[in-house]
Amino acid sequence: MAKRRLDKFKPIVALGVFLVAWWLIPLGAKAFLKASFTEFQAPAWVANSYLEDLEGFWARRMHSKRELEVAGQEIARAKSYYQFNAQRAATLQAEVERLERILNLPSRREYQYEVARVIRRDLSAWWQHLILRKGRDFEIPVGAAVVFAGGVVGRVVEVNAFTSRVELISSPNFRMAAQFEGDPRPVVYEGVAQSGFGDPVGRVSDAPQDLVANSREPLQLVSTQLGGTFPPGLVIGKVAWLEPGNTGIFQAGEVALDPDLLSLHEVAILVPLNPIEMDSNAP
Amino acid sequence: MLLDPRAIIMFGANALLLFLMQMVNSAMAAWPPYLFILGPMIVLPALYLRHQSYFLCTFLSGLGVDASMGGPFGFFTTLFLMAGALIFTFRIRFRAEHNYHPILLGHVTNIFLILSISIFWGGDLLNISSYWIQILSTIFFSHLAMLVVAPWFYSLERQLFQICRVETEPEDLPLL
Repeated sequence: MAKRRLDKFKPIVALGVFLVAWWLIPLGAKAFLKASFTEFQAPAWVANSYLEDLEGFWARRMHSKRELEVAGQEIARAKSYYQFNAQRAATLQAEVERLERILNLPSRREYQYEVARVIRRDLSAWWQHLILRKGRDFEIPVGAAVVFAGGVVGRVVEVNAFTSRVELISSPNFRMAAQFEGDPRPVVYEGVAQSGFGDPVGRVSDAPQDLVANSREPLQLVSTQLGGTFPPGLVIGKVAWLEPGNTGIFQAGEVALDPDLLSLHEVAILVPLNPIEMDSNAP
Repeated sequence: MLLDPRAIIMFGANALLLFLMQMVNSAMAAWPPYLFILGPMIVLPALYLRHQSYFLCTFLSGLGVDASMGGPFGFFTTLFLMAGALIFTFRIRFRAEHNYHPILLGHVTNIFLILSISIFWGGDLLNISSYWIQILSTIFFSHLAMLVVAPWFYSLERQLFQICRVETEPEDLPLL
């Protein structure tokens, strides 16, 4: 009878034992468990992503020859336009390098663009993550910047064997140094809780008092090289109004982010070619 | 037997539910609904299995969810085991062979999970209205979807028991 009564508390006792054990387990063992379970699930998502690619391939095969010809012409036009832009960019780059040599400026960080497919979007009130189909197999580092045609996407927070997890700029845990276009003074950008209804937004703070923003001429918020992760000049979003912040010394305001952030299919990871040495004493 | 084969079936079904839920969320990322349907994963293992098998199934399911979602590793495992322990303790009061009680338990467990995450991870966000708007919309859409998903999920698990020719009755039958 007494045994029967004690049996009732078995799940509670087991829960207590688990809590104590989980607290005592070394971090290495937890990291191993996490990596094992993540890698166990990853093939399903990668396979799902390849199936989507295959679906797209067969959908394109269904187009008529005429549609393909029209698409080909459009691509040819776009190609010649981008070839011209590439030539112009190369000329401007050479000019910048010449001026840098004359002025003895320090070299800038260079990046290798690794284009990656988005295999999963997980955008909730608690976290805003993208899972990409490239990981350690492409030597993606943790902390690398992720961008797309509309500007900054976020930062890599976790790298696995074949996938990596990106924290979006709209995530409440995201924070980076930024500046307004044409104004070198640094400000702070951070993600905020999204309501889920409407376009994604962020928040800018520590903006100088003399800046004025309005909905007709919104200020463009861009990245700065101060944080060391993002190259300067990448678009973050637009600020239509600024108001005095908590301290009263600086201004703060809402940043309207690109709505395409929520439906990305492909992004570029910026892999630094000359990573910053954290141990070095260089300024 | 050391491990009830139904625990493996339930773990597989939980993995399937997690995968489907995340696939729907990924496809609907640009839309307001976010589905959080983890409650049903805990119910049947706690109602059907012996303690050892229930514990293993719930523990492994929790770790799977932890690895797949953002946030500190072990958080969902702990919540799963807490909710599971409570259901297991009082399981003799529930009828597991029909869907009525498991569905109700699934809803209650799901609400418990959503509110726990919202409070523990909320931090400074707890004072922000847009945070609670999205939590309320998540609860609304998730529980609306659960009206369809939970009966399907439990029926799928029972169907799998039959297909795999394992015991289809719970370990402890309810008091009548």
